[in-house]
Amino acid sequence: MTRLRRTAWAAGLGVATIGTVSCKKKEAPPPPAESTAPAPAPAATPFAVQSIELGKSIGSDKKVPSPSTTFGRHDTIYVSVATDGAAPSKTIAAKWTFQSGQTVKEQSQTIAPTGPAATEFHISKGGPWPAGKYKVEILVDGSSAGTKDFEIK
Amino acid sequence: MPDDKNADFSDVEGGGSSTAPPAGRTYTVVKGDSLSKIAKQFYGNASQWKRIYEANKDVIKNPDLIYPGQTFKIPEG
Repeated sequence: MTRLRRTAWAAGLGVATIGTVSCKKKEAPPPPAESTAPAPAPAATPFAVQSIELGKSIGSDKKVPSPSTTFGRHDTIYVSVATDGAAPSKTIAAKWTFQSGQTVKEQSQTIAPTGPAATEFHISKGGPWPAGKYKVEILVDGSSAGTKDFEIK
Repeated sequence: MPDDKNADFSDVEGGGSSTAPPAGRTYTVVKGDSLSKIAKQFYGNASQWKRIYEANKDVIKNPDLIYPGQTFKIPEG
C-alpha cells in the first residue's frame, strides 16, 4: 500500500513537472533593437547637360576659360560641354556644320560620369577655315542637347 | 564675305577629352575618313589603324573600304 502511494505520488509529481514545463508562460519578444540602418541615400541626380561653351583654348578642367563665338581662320575651335549626374554610359556627340548644314566634323565620346563633369571636343584645319557661319550641335545618346552658333572671319 | 558653301573640310582634324572616365569610345565615320585618319585622331599615330580594324572586324569587311555612318568601337589608347 505504501509502495503504491509512493508510486502514485511520484507519477503525480511527474505530471505536475510536465505541466509546469508545457504551461511555461511565453517570454515577451525582445524589444526591437535600435535601428542602425543608414539613412536612405539621396536619389541620384539624373544626367543632364548644364552648359555648352565655345572658345579658342581649353583648361585642364576641360572648360573654356574665355568663351567666344567669333574665331579666326586659323584657330582651333573648342566646345566644352558641362554635365551633371551619374550614368554608367552616355555618348556625347558633337556635330559641326557650316552655313546651311554642310557637315564639317562629327565626333563622339562615351563616358561613365559619376557626377559633375566637363567634356570637350575640338577641331582644327590644315588650311584656313572658310569664312562664314558655323554651328555645333551637342547630342546625348543621339538626342539634341543644345546648339551653339559661331562665326569664322 | 562668306566662302562657298560647298567648302572642303576633308583636312579637318579633331579630338576630345573628358573629366569623366571613359565608358568605351565610339566613332561614326564621315565622308573622307579612313582607318589611318581615325587612328591618327584618337592615337596620334596613323599606323595604329589595325587596332581599330581588329576591334571592328564584324562591321569592317575590307579595311580600305569604310562608309559614312558606320560606327566603330575605338579601343583604349
